[in-house]
Amino acid sequence: MPGIITFSEERELGKQLLTPALELKKSLSGPVTVLALNDADAKELAALGADKVLVLQAAGGWPEGLSEAISGLVSTAAPSIFLVGGTLPGKHIGAYVAAKLNLAMVTDAKSLKVENGKLLTTRLLFAGLALCEEESVLPVVATIPSRTFLPPNAAGKAGAAETVKAETDSRVAISDITRAESSGVDIGAATRVVAVGRGFRKQEDLKLAQDLASVFHAEIACSRPVAEEEHWLPIDHYVGISGHTVKPELYVAVGISGQVQHMVGARESKVIAAIDNDEHAPIFEAADYGIVGDLYEVLPLLTAALKKK
Amino acid sequence: MPKCLVCYKWTLDEQDIRVNPDDLSLDTSRAKAKISDFDRNAIEEATLIVEKHGGSVNALSYGTPDVKQSLKDVLSRGPEKVYWIAQSGAQTSDAYVTANVLAAAIRKLGQYDLILCGEGSSDEFNRQTPVRLAALLGLPCVTYVEKLSVEGDTIKATRRVADCSEVATVKGPVVISVLNQINKPRIPTLKQVLGAAKKPNEEIKIADLGLKPESLQPKSARKSVKGFVTKRKKIVYKEANAAANVAKLASSLAAEGLC
Repeated sequence: MPGIITFSEERELGKQLLTPALELKKSLSGPVTVLALNDADAKELAALGADKVLVLQAAGGWPEGLSEAISGLVSTAAPSIFLVGGTLPGKHIGAYVAAKLNLAMVTDAKSLKVENGKLLTTRLLFAGLALCEEESVLPVVATIPSRTFLPPNAAGKAGAAETVKAETDSRVAISDITRAESSGVDIGAATRVVAVGRGFRKQEDLKLAQDLASVFHAEIACSRPVAEEEHWLPIDHYVGISGHTVKPELYVAVGISGQVQHMVGARESKVIAAIDNDEHAPIFEAADYGIVGDLYEVLPLLTAALKKK
Repeated sequence: MPKCLVCYKWTLDEQDIRVNPDDLSLDTSRAKAKISDFDRNAIEEATLIVEKHGGSVNALSYGTPDVKQSLKDVLSRGPEKVYWIAQSGAQTSDAYVTANVLAAAIRKLGQYDLILCGEGSSDEFNRQTPVRLAALLGLPCVTYVEKLSVEGDTIKATRRVADCSEVATVKGPVVISVLNQINKPRIPTLKQVLGAAKKPNEEIKIADLGLKPESLQPKSARKSVKGFVTKRKKIVYKEANAAANVAKLASSLAAEGLC
């Protein structure tokens, strides 16, 4: 049974995967089969054009622990393409399946099409510095990052759902699951973003950026060190290669030098403005407008100027 | 006392790669090679574990003949011995081939309690090799680890997956991939650099790994690589008078319809 199998442990991403799956189906024979982790996800995915949904019945809540079970299901169905949601667990599962079944895996494809019996994909290299076009032999695994595609419209006919038993990897025990403090703010969907970096000397000083954000009606984001090392902002606020990719109409980078690892998450913004004291910082090459200056002086002035408007 | 193996990649420093604006080709002529960033964290973590508990750290790398340039560097960071596999044309190897080669080499070297890798390499950032190694070797795999502790034969690893952290408890042998916040890799001292020259390195010939030709045949091939360029206005206000700069920025943003 050639065709396409999709899987994501995140429902929204699972829906988005159906868009490339249904598009690729046109060039391949066979059905689109979706692997889901619960009945609620299965129902939504079946309504969006999946030919079949397999609901994995598993004991554990650790998606990566299902790698062997998913590998077995993929091996039995023998699809041409296995599309996986490009979360960290998704990449783990995809790489496991690829290794077990001797397949290539394309990590975080931005576009996909089948040509001459091969999968053509584009993805980033060197932390986003370059875009690489690749050709992989089928069958193949590909992971797709969140928000690369919009979910498809509802299909006329819902696919059938079936339940399958799935064993969790018992060699690894998972405990102490803690969700980090989440602001409930979805940076990825923000239309305006004020992003803060290492140029701030202490956490209290972020107030200056918050003041600016409030007159702009912007959300606050940050570079990786601000979240990962200083812990000044929750982890779900950071923009960059392994964090969020944002596409706002305005991105204001404050005290951010503009390394490619950060900019890859911000460069799809419509307008980028930057404030930094280092005239030679790469951020000024990646911005539309910049001010070279001390952010402690510039931010209050900018906030006041915008308030007047 | 854990027997550790760290896998690392010798890669170009992406900070020194320039995009040629005319044809978007990459200019790597000024890029120096380095041990991939997250792999340095893996080397440091293995070294810290052995400093605390005893045991040993070996390192293993597969790459083009350039990999030989990495040997002193890696040995100055803690490992007592490095094994290396050089192959002309290894730059076209995909994660499938790389994992096949490394797994075959690890089988040949014998059992390790802990096999550590960086989360992903700083050039490709595929994040496949650690999981592929575990799958090929039949070992459990704990990915994205930001804290690691060893208690006898039990390994406790704190994973960080997006906004969630969790503790994975597992008995070795196990493959672990580490995040960069797990530690700050040491900068080797002069003594460590000089000491590295006296430490052993051993070449493993790819022909001695018993791999079938198809295991060395990449399944993904690059068709083109183009620098990613977005056009930006790059208007910079840098007068000494901050208020004047702010006024100009505010009117620029107003002209864009943004305020």
